[in-house]
Amino acid sequence: MGSLRLKVAIAIAKSAGALSKSLGRGSGETLPGRILLTLCPNAIELLAQSRVVILVSGTNGKTSTTKELVSQVRTVGTVVTSSSGSNLSRGVAGALMQDSVFAVLEVDELHLPEVVAQTNPAVVLLLNLTRDQLHRMHEVKRVAARWHEMCKSADPSTLFIADVDDPFVNFAITGAASAVRVSFGGAAHSRHPDGAVCPSCGRYLDWNDGKYHCDCGLSNEYANHTYDGGSAGYRNFVLASLAADYVGVHNALSNIELRSDYRGMERATEKVFAGVKARVRLTKNPASWTEALAGVTGNNVILVLNAREVDGIDTSWIWDVSCASLAGKRVVVTGERGADLAYRLHVEGVQNTLVDTFDEAIAVFGVGSVEVLAAYTAFFGLVGR
Amino acid sequence: MLKIIRVHNELLGTYGDRGNADVLAFRAGLAGIATAIVDISYRESIPSDGDIYLLGGAEDAAQILSCNALSGGSLHGAVEKGTVVLAICAGFQILGKSFYANGEEQRGLGLLNVTTVPGTSRYVGDIKVHSELLGIDLTGFENHGGKTLLGAGAQAFGKVLVGHGNGDTGVDGAVSGNIFGTYLHGPVLARNPEFADLLLSRAHGAPVKVSDPLADRYAALRREVTK
Repeated sequence: MGSLRLKVAIAIAKSAGALSKSLGRGSGETLPGRILLTLCPNAIELLAQSRVVILVSGTNGKTSTTKELVSQVRTVGTVVTSSSGSNLSRGVAGALMQDSVFAVLEVDELHLPEVVAQTNPAVVLLLNLTRDQLHRMHEVKRVAARWHEMCKSADPSTLFIADVDDPFVNFAITGAASAVRVSFGGAAHSRHPDGAVCPSCGRYLDWNDGKYHCDCGLSNEYANHTYDGGSAGYRNFVLASLAADYVGVHNALSNIELRSDYRGMERATEKVFAGVKARVRLTKNPASWTEALAGVTGNNVILVLNAREVDGIDTSWIWDVSCASLAGKRVVVTGERGADLAYRLHVEGVQNTLVDTFDEAIAVFGVGSVEVLAAYTAFFGLVGR
Repeated sequence: MLKIIRVHNELLGTYGDRGNADVLAFRAGLAGIATAIVDISYRESIPSDGDIYLLGGAEDAAQILSCNALSGGSLHGAVEKGTVVLAICAGFQILGKSFYANGEEQRGLGLLNVTTVPGTSRYVGDIKVHSELLGIDLTGFENHGGKTLLGAGAQAFGKVLVGHGNGDTGVDGAVSGNIFGTYLHGPVLARNPEFADLLLSRAHGAPVKVSDPLADRYAALRREVTK
């Protein structure tokens, strides 16, 4: 394919994006990438060739980790990155349309193998794998098995940086030619929430305070880098800094010791709704809700549950999240599946008020501040208001 | 005191089915019946003095491990006494004579006269079934790849109104005495409080009728929107 075709395709895709934006049809972020791939199906391969590509994937923390990595890599060269949450092939293609030295891209877990094959990345950062959107992913093991094949077939020059406290991620990199194993002294909680079975051999995996060791050899007892444990935000910051160090960012690793506040690593935004100051945090699956609930410090809480495609259309998983820490707080529940959550809290003994809309939820408080945990689609709905 | 045994939840807990135990205990509490939820992990032996045994959905490798651990007969002893068993999805398949996991046929516990073979596709989505036993429609969410065939004398749990159930055979689950198998997640007892009360009544040996308007409203809402 000639470069002329690529150039023409990019020009058309860019003007279509600009037109779509000026017509007010969405943000115009995924359209150019989609058009580019239609006009030039191997655009990603061609555009990735001339730059240092770093990919970030995992069930939780992709967007904030990518953002952190972008800000670190920017200190040593120009960077393109995908627009927030746009992590399928069209988002990747759209991001690569601008020239740069580096490309730092978040990629959907199921699409990662394809994008690795297309971009021949310098570094792939593998954060974690837990249950999410099971109607689409079906099984965590299925995603891990795909990653395992991906690591085996990747170019030997691609470095995989992986949190091996997650046995699914650890299993994935066992086939990689080059990998950096990172441990935080054990899984974030006493065990990985979905890690009862060794993803490598199918044996029962015994856990001891976040550590595991299977007879087949899969274990997090050995790592190239070991750090103290901490919040998901902290762990992802460390992983981002390691990736930044590898691609030549000066002092990336010393940042780890200097920083102490990781709230910025959370996918959250602060806004005022009808006079109530709200901190809205994205929460989307059992691991993410558990992490977010642990971070609730105030007395006023709004929980918003939806079950659209990207939220996961089955809400059964809310029964795997303990909400007991909310007992005694002022809890208001809303969202398209608010009734599911309200009943779940009711059974756990957490008193709550169920309302139809977010505005009604805000009105319950009237003044002051509130912490909002919002499902994926609800989060973007609130950010866009 | 009703003893609710949650079997191998770390293995059979992929789809939120642990909530069935919570709902049973909660509703029993509203009816003034004391309960204890006992979690039994893979490394522990299954107590024989439970009043209700619960098994949930799982991924393939976990399903095989759990089935192997149960094949020693620990559940058989309880079942012979007529104890209540509720098994969902992978747990339901385990109770049958055989099922497929990791692409191979596995021997089940044979407590229900059903066999499960690979279905034509994966069955994912909202499901609604009509139960003759309860006289109502029940709702849930299914996510599995099995086609479950009823053997001679085996009775279906419900007739499928929306969704796939036992793999597009027109019915869902199986019932034999006090053993209930179904593909409904949700958890099924959260979405269908009448079913929870049936299990409590069977275990208690006397009718248990619970009043919880919030549960009724939630169940009604799910029945209204699942179509």
